[in-house]
Amino acid sequence: MSYRIPIGPYHPALEEPYKVNLVCNGERVCDAELSVGFNFRGIEYLAERRNFVQVIALMERVCGICSNVHTLSICQALERLAEIDPPPRALYIRVIVAELERLHSHILWAGVAGKLMGFKTMFMTCFLLREKVMSALEIISGNRVNYAMNRIGGVNRDIADPQSVLAVVDFLEREVNRVIIPVFASNRTVLERCAGVGVLTREQAKAYGVVGPTARASGVPQDMRRAAPYAAYGEMKFEVPLELAGDVRARLLVRALETIESCRILRQALNNLPTGDWWGPTEEVEVPAGTGISRVEGPRGEVLYSVTADGENDTPRRVKVRTPTYINMPSVRLMLRGARLADAPLIQASIDPCYSCTDR
Amino acid sequence: MSDFSSIPAELGLAQTWEQRNGSQWLEPESLDVRHMATVMLARGARFITITAMQLPEDEAARLDYHWDLDGELLTFTIKTADKIVPSVYDLCPAADWIEREVHEYFAVEFEGRQYEPLMLREGDPVGVCVPEEDA
Repeated sequence: MSYRIPIGPYHPALEEPYKVNLVCNGERVCDAELSVGFNFRGIEYLAERRNFVQVIALMERVCGICSNVHTLSICQALERLAEIDPPPRALYIRVIVAELERLHSHILWAGVAGKLMGFKTMFMTCFLLREKVMSALEIISGNRVNYAMNRIGGVNRDIADPQSVLAVVDFLEREVNRVIIPVFASNRTVLERCAGVGVLTREQAKAYGVVGPTARASGVPQDMRRAAPYAAYGEMKFEVPLELAGDVRARLLVRALETIESCRILRQALNNLPTGDWWGPTEEVEVPAGTGISRVEGPRGEVLYSVTADGENDTPRRVKVRTPTYINMPSVRLMLRGARLADAPLIQASIDPCYSCTDR
Repeated sequence: MSDFSSIPAELGLAQTWEQRNGSQWLEPESLDVRHMATVMLARGARFITITAMQLPEDEAARLDYHWDLDGELLTFTIKTADKIVPSVYDLCPAADWIEREVHEYFAVEFEGRQYEPLMLREGDPVGVCVPEEDA
């Protein structure tokens, strides 16, 4: 006889409010019903009531982890509409901040995964490492969460001392290679809790349009930095880590390997930072009528912004945001079917969900 | 990179793709969205999302269907005067939450499917993102 376990929307096991009803038979999960919307703030609607400068600050508040991705995406969409090319130094700075954001997001998630596995030493180790990235971001931008780095046609701040950021990159690469990758690849606790758990097949990942590390852990080699390069990514050499197993361990490994690739990109960008200005246009930007679209590879996957202007008002006519968790979340239902009840918290967390992004 | 230039002909459309502002655009007078979804899925395209927008005249809505084909962003734009379009959810599971959200935000009806609340709660009125001046 099956029974139902409601978890959420407010629960100690959840980082953010959402609800999952687990339909179980004994210790097995037969099905899962997901409910979101508890963070719905109507940000897309609010965006139509902000001018083209104010809307950047608003969209930065979509997410507290990948806030920079949102300002980068909307600025790129507006730049395409207004036919503005940011200066080369600004494009490199955008890459540097985006990769630092990916590092702190992936390392944070590695810590959360450690906690959910009952591996609290891993949690504390990861948060110590993440703190170094947060400090680097604070030195660059003056902020730990909302960096306010992007503006239409450029960035708001220069990176005056690339060497200090390089020192953080060296430290992180060494520690990720020394601790995180060996633990995720071969530790017995990790293998027993994660290998073969919460499988999403390649076919399922493609049917559900899954993106980011969740897709790459299921063998779908999709990364916007490679497929449709933006900012200065076309000039960077990096690998796109791919795993085929589609389980929680594959998602752990893909993110861990991506932190090494982020360090590679950061080293190239910091060592080759072009000279010149970084701020872009100093006059108010005129946004003509039309729709501009931008796609960026955030830490959780592809983010799409579609911005429509009517050419008459200084506010957008429409701002559409498609965040990665929004498209990844429905696939959690497939991952949970047939899983052990005790694995459910780790499985739902393995897509690195962000409900603030999803609900907007 | 896949060849997407033959897609309009496969859909029986006279138009060709127009590249502008970050996407390839196709804006036909009329479009069978289910045929479009079938053709795109057969080519291995990934469904990204639908951007809906309320248009000021005649309570019409504009729907942009965004697809990714090997890194190329392909957008099909349709206008619907009665805000009723066929659902593609049964062909493409990725469209489930997307259609539900467009329904809640802009009161667009996707024929052939049921809705469960997504961002709103049971019983809430739909069309919450239609600008007041257009409502």
